[in-house]
Amino acid sequence: MASAPTPRVVSGQLALLIPVGSDTYAVSLETVREVVVDPRVTQLPTSPAVVRGVFNVRGDIVPLLDTGLLLGLRPVMEEPYAVLVETPHGTAGLVATDMPLTVRLNESVGHSDIEGTTETYLVADARLAIALDIPVLLSPARISQ
Amino acid sequence: MSPQESLSENDFQRLFAMEAEGRLDTLVDQLLELEKGGATPEVVASLFREAHTVKGGAAVVGMPHVARVAHALEDLLEEVRRERRGVDTALIDAVLAGVDAIRALIPLAVAGQDHEAAAFDAEQRLRIAVGGPPVVDDRAAAAPDMPVPAPSSPAPTTMAPPVPSPAPPARAEPGAPPAPAREHDAADGVVEAHGAADGAAGHAEPARATATEMLQIPVHRIDELVRLIGEASAATLRLGSALLERLERDPSSLTEYRDLVRSLNELQELALHARMIPVMSLAPRLRRAVRDLARETGKEVRFETRGEDAEIDRGVLERLADPLLHLVRNAVDHGVEAPDERRRNGKPAEGTVRLHAMQLGSEVVIAVSDDGRGIDVSRVRETAGRTDRSAIEMDDEAALYLIFRSGLTTATKVTGVSGRGVGLDAVRASLNAVRGRIEVRSDPGMGTEFRIAVPITMTTLRCLVIKAGGQAFAIPLHSVRAVLPPQTSAMVGGRAMTMLDGRPVPISSLSAVLGMGNGSHGPAVVVAGLTRSHAFTVDELVDQRDVVVKGLGELLPRLPAVAGAGVQPDGSILLVLEAAGLIERARRIDSGDRSQEAAGGGGYEETAPQRAASILVVDDALTVRELQRSIFENAGYRVRVAVNGEEALVEISHERPDLVLTDVQMPRMDGFELTEAIRKQAALASLPVIILTSRGSDEDRRRGLECGADGYIVKSGFDQSALLSAVERLLGEDR
Repeated sequence: MASAPTPRVVSGQLALLIPVGSDTYAVSLETVREVVVDPRVTQLPTSPAVVRGVFNVRGDIVPLLDTGLLLGLRPVMEEPYAVLVETPHGTAGLVATDMPLTVRLNESVGHSDIEGTTETYLVADARLAIALDIPVLLSPARISQ
Repeated sequence: MSPQESLSENDFQRLFAMEAEGRLDTLVDQLLELEKGGATPEVVASLFREAHTVKGGAAVVGMPHVARVAHALEDLLEEVRRERRGVDTALIDAVLAGVDAIRALIPLAVAGQDHEAAAFDAEQRLRIAVGGPPVVDDRAAAAPDMPVPAPSSPAPTTMAPPVPSPAPPARAEPGAPPAPAREHDAADGVVEAHGAADGAAGHAEPARATATEMLQIPVHRIDELVRLIGEASAATLRLGSALLERLERDPSSLTEYRDLVRSLNELQELALHARMIPVMSLAPRLRRAVRDLARETGKEVRFETRGEDAEIDRGVLERLADPLLHLVRNAVDHGVEAPDERRRNGKPAEGTVRLHAMQLGSEVVIAVSDDGRGIDVSRVRETAGRTDRSAIEMDDEAALYLIFRSGLTTATKVTGVSGRGVGLDAVRASLNAVRGRIEVRSDPGMGTEFRIAVPITMTTLRCLVIKAGGQAFAIPLHSVRAVLPPQTSAMVGGRAMTMLDGRPVPISSLSAVLGMGNGSHGPAVVVAGLTRSHAFTVDELVDQRDVVVKGLGELLPRLPAVAGAGVQPDGSILLVLEAAGLIERARRIDSGDRSQEAAGGGGYEETAPQRAASILVVDDALTVRELQRSIFENAGYRVRVAVNGEEALVEISHERPDLVLTDVQMPRMDGFELTEAIRKQAALASLPVIILTSRGSDEDRRRGLECGADGYIVKSGFDQSALLSAVERLLGEDR
C-alpha cells in the first residue's frame, strides 16, 4: 500500500527516542509502527554490512538495520530492541541498544551535520537527541552503499 | 450521467480494452504472415474479422471514434479481401498504423479524454490508403451486414452490435444463444492446437477459446487468492508443529491433517495455474518490433517462434516484456547484418531472429537468438578497458559479460534504436526483479544467443534444507543435482574438485562462499545453474520442505545468492538460496584466490573424462540444441550436435554415438526419417534413439515408435530429470 510522505520530526511533536550506544536518536512517533523486544534475527549473508539480518513480524519479513553504521558511525554489537519504522520502500527495523522512550520534543537546539539527520533536540536528563530523516536514511541506495 | 451509469459503462470499456488488445495482437501477427507472402483467403478473412469485431465492440461500449477508425481499417481490409487491392508494403504500413492508432485511442476513450481529432486523423490516413478520397462517401465498400453512421455525424450510442459481442452481458439477446456444444469442442481443442502448432513455427493461428468459456478476472483477485492459499498453507504447517509440540502427535499420522495438506496443495497448484499464460503471448509485439526495425534499418529479417506450450506466471511475463523487446531489437540492429554483407559472407540475405521458450523443471528458459555477426569480444574488452583496466585481462567468456555493464556500447554510431549503452544493464536489472538471470553466448560470424531463465511462479518452492555456518538455509530442489557424503577433494588446475558420476565438479564450502566462516566439512550438495554445476559442503542436511518464498522487500539490494525467504512454522526465517548466484559467487571467490598464483590451469570444462557416453543431439533450433547440450554436459556426457537428419547421419558415420536424441520437425530430413535411416543400417540397429517433440498426438507417438524409436518424449511433459533418466535407462540397457 502506498504510504503518505513520512513525517519528519518537528519540535512540539511526540517522538520516539532510540538509544544507540552512547548516542540517542529521535524519530517521529507517526513513522513508528511498533517496538519489538529481542527480535529473533536471521543473518542475511552477502548483504551490505548495515543489514544485521531479517526478522519475522507477524508473517512479514523485515530487515533489521544497524543504526550506527547507517549514520557512518560505530556499528552496534547487539540488538535488544528493534524499532519498526515505515519508509516509502516498506517497513524496516532500526536497532536500539536500550529501551526506546516516547517524549515530546522541545525547541531544536541546532542543526545536525550528519547526513540522514535533521535537527538536534535537548531531551530529558540533559541528553541530546538527533532527529533522523527516515526517507533519506532508509533509502535503497543508501543501504546498498 | 449518473455515477452508477458511468461506472458500468466504464467497466465495459475496460473489458473491451482488454479484449481489443488480444485481437489487435492477433491482427498484427496475421498481417505479418501476410507480408511474408501468406496471403491466403483464410488469413485475409481472419484479418478482416478481427477488425470487424473490434469495430463492433468499440461501438457497443460507447467508443464511437475508435469504432470509426476500426471501421476504416475494416474497409481497407475488405478491399484486400475482395482482391481489389494487392498486398504491398504501403498496405501493411497503413494497417499497422491503424492498429497503433486504435491502441492509442482506447485508453484515451476509457479515461474520458478527448480523442476525436486523433481518431479523425487516423481514419483519414486509412481512407487514403484505400486509394479513394480521404472521406469516404461510398458506404458500399463497408461491411454489408453493418449499418454504419456517416463519419460526419456523431455516432449514435444505440448502434446495434454487428457481431455477437463478447463483452457486454447487457447485450445478450435471448433469441440468439451461443451454440455451447460446438464452442466447448473449440475450447477443448485449445491445448491440442497449441501443441501441434509448434512444428509450424508460428504459422498456426493460436486457437482462441470463445467468450462463453472465458471469464476475465482482474489479476489482483487471483493474486489475493494465491496469497491467501499461501497463508493457509503456512498456517497448516504451524498447526502441524503445534500438534507435535503440545499434543505430541505426529501430524502426518492423522488422515485429516494429510487430507488438509493435500487439498491445500492442489488448491495452490490450481490457483497458480490460473495465473499462467503462454510465453508466446508476447510474440506478436516482438514480431512487430522485428518487422518495424528491419524496415527502418534496411534489413531482411525473419522472426521465428518456438515453444508455444511453455507457460509462465502472468506477473513474471509482464516483467519480461521490456527485456525481451530490447533483446529482439538488439538482435535486429546489432546482430543481423545488411543483406549485401550477408551475401558476401555466404549467408542467406534474410537473417533470422528466433524466440524460443521451454519449460525446464520449475523454470522457463527463453532464448532470443540471431544468425548475425556475433559479438566482437575484443571490441567489448577494449571499450570497457578504457574505463576499467581489469577488463583487459579478462578471458573471452568474462569479457562477453561486460556488455551487461551500464554505459558500455561498442556501436560506433547512435542509431535511434541502440548504441546508447543503456539497455543490457537495464535488461539484467529487470530480470533480477523476477529472480531471473541471463546468459549470453556468441559465435563470431555465426550469431548470438541470449538465454533468460526465470522461475515459472514466484511463490512455493520445494527445498532441501541444510545447515551451513550454524544457520539453516533452503536450496530449491530443482537445482539440486546430487548429495554426496563427506569426502576429500583434490586440487585440479588450482581448484578444489570432487567427482560426480566420474566427472570432476568444483567444490567449495558453503559457509565460506556465504562469508560465514570456513567450517562446513559435512556432506556436499551439488547444485546446477543454467550451464554449470558446483558442489558445496555443508554442516549437515536437515530435511525437505515446501517454502512459501517471499521477497526481501524493496529496501534491500538484490542479493544474487539469495532467492528470497520463507517464514517457518516456528516463526523463524529460512533463507532460500539461488543456485546460479551461489555458483557465480563461488567461482569469483575461487578465481580471486587463484589470481594470487600464476595464471594457468584449465577449468573443469576442459577436463571431461574420456570414457563418458556420447550423445548426438539433433535439432534445428539452436536454443533446444544448446539447452540439451548443457543438460547432458552437466550430467557428464559428451555431446555432439547436428541441425537435421542428414547432418546427423554424417556425424554418426564419423563416430557412432551411444545415443541419439532427435527433434521431429527439421528441414531436409525430419526425426522420423532419421530414425528410419538409422534402423536400416545393421550396424546401428541397437543404437538407442529418443524422439523429443512437442507433438503429443497419438498418431505421432505411434509413428515415432513404428519407425523404430526407443523413446518418445513430449516436450510439454518434459523436464530435465525425466529426460536424463530416460537417457540413463536406455544407455544402461545398451551396455
